[in-house]
Amino acid sequence: MIEFFHVAKAYNGRPALQDVSFKIEKGEFVFLTGSSGAGKTTLLRLIFCAEAPDEGQILVHNRNLSQIKGSAVPYLRRTMGFVFQDFRLLPKKTVFENVALALKVCGVSEGVLRVKAVETLGAVGLGHKLEALPMMLSAGEQQRVCLARAIVNDPQILLADEPTGNLDAALAGEILELLKNVNARGTTVLLATHNRDLLRSVLRRMVKLDQGRVVEDGCPER
Amino acid sequence: MSRAMTPLRYLLSEAVDNVKANRTTTVIALVTTTFTMLGMGVFLLLYLNIQDALGSLREEIKVIVYLRDSATAQDIAAIRAEVSRDPAVAGIELVSREQALATFRAQFPSEERLLSGLGDNPFPASLVIKVGQAYRSSEQVSALVQKLKMLSEAEEVLYSQDWIENVAAALRYLRVLGIGIGVVLAVSMVTILANTTRLTVYARREEIEILKLIGATAGFIKTPFVLEGALLGGAGAACALFLLRTLLGLAESKLAIKGTFWGMGRGLMFLPDRVTVAFLLLGIMLGCLGSMVSLSQLRGARS
Repeated sequence: MIEFFHVAKAYNGRPALQDVSFKIEKGEFVFLTGSSGAGKTTLLRLIFCAEAPDEGQILVHNRNLSQIKGSAVPYLRRTMGFVFQDFRLLPKKTVFENVALALKVCGVSEGVLRVKAVETLGAVGLGHKLEALPMMLSAGEQQRVCLARAIVNDPQILLADEPTGNLDAALAGEILELLKNVNARGTTVLLATHNRDLLRSVLRRMVKLDQGRVVEDGCPER
Repeated sequence: MSRAMTPLRYLLSEAVDNVKANRTTTVIALVTTTFTMLGMGVFLLLYLNIQDALGSLREEIKVIVYLRDSATAQDIAAIRAEVSRDPAVAGIELVSREQALATFRAQFPSEERLLSGLGDNPFPASLVIKVGQAYRSSEQVSALVQKLKMLSEAEEVLYSQDWIENVAAALRYLRVLGIGIGVVLAVSMVTILANTTRLTVYARREEIEILKLIGATAGFIKTPFVLEGALLGGAGAACALFLLRTLLGLAESKLAIKGTFWGMGRGLMFLPDRVTVAFLLLGIMLGCLGSMVSLSQLRGARS
């Protein structure tokens, strides 16, 4: 599903990723870990085509990302969902509108869009806050809206960049449970985090980066 | 149907939201757009009115053939028949020597003594030839005059060639000047609207980033801004037309020039319907262009 072959990326001559190679199979739940500046966010940005690698090749759905035209990038992104540490919700749109927007950009009809958005918000426990604005919600609720927006399109891949970074342990646990549910439905999840508690709570495959290199790849033992 | 309508309705509502969200910028852009379009409208109105007035003056273009005193009635009839066969001739009026004298006496009664010193009737008979509408260029009138000079009974042929050429040149210069001024005003309007769009894009940059992330195409992201430009351009053109109509009404009533324009033509006229529609479309088009100029600098999907 996602394959990296000797990928390198540098900013102003300073390497962010060096000789990164790994493969993530369909339906896997993978933690991407490492200290701040290890290259986690850069790696995610390469997957959703926000950046192009300086060296190496990246395959997503067996498509070489360096050969994808700019006009095809939006269609690739529709197969992915994104969850961010800072939520990135539209402040002037309601919870429902924020989630529905992901369907609207795909041209989904009004009727289907309403059913799917309400259903997804119900699944993350926000069915009663459809008309609320993001600023009226707690951080945990905002992250759940972000998650609902990411999964409303039934994406094949979910990329999460420090999704629990702004949440306390209890809320982080809730978000992790939701991500596990998404994974259980068949979505491949790649979760970037440096939260050790989170890593310890779920025994899944872990790809560890250090100074842009993969230094560990495997499932930790309990 | 609803699949197609959903994005369209969304894109339109986003365009209206853009306008609402940046009210001050929008008002400033609308006012400047209105006055820019008004500048174009004033010039266009002036050009069309002058063209209309000159058109009516051109209808007055006549060539006068003064006949020799020796020309008999038969000669004159033969000349009339010959001249009337020329396609450039729209009408011929014979002014006899008696009519010419009477006209002079009527127009200059104080010059009666002058006439008495010149004998019985010093005025020659003449043919006043009206030139057809399709034959009023200076070249065509010159060609007609050359033919008329060849007539055996023609003493002299008079026509206002300089005046015709001046009219034609003035219209040409006016058209070039109009295009020049129009281009300058259009460029300034595009620049103003491009800056307005740039400010809106800047204000909504985070939203644009989010839209890109969730898979919105460039068209989906850019269309509301283009529609906003079209709305501003169209509204500016409509306001300019309203102001233009008001100004024309004021000019007619306050300057008391209704009925004729400097004594010529049918008086001041407003833009014809087709020109009004074209003016509105020009505003919309320039608005779209302004937005597109600004949006061309928006980074592509790989960001």
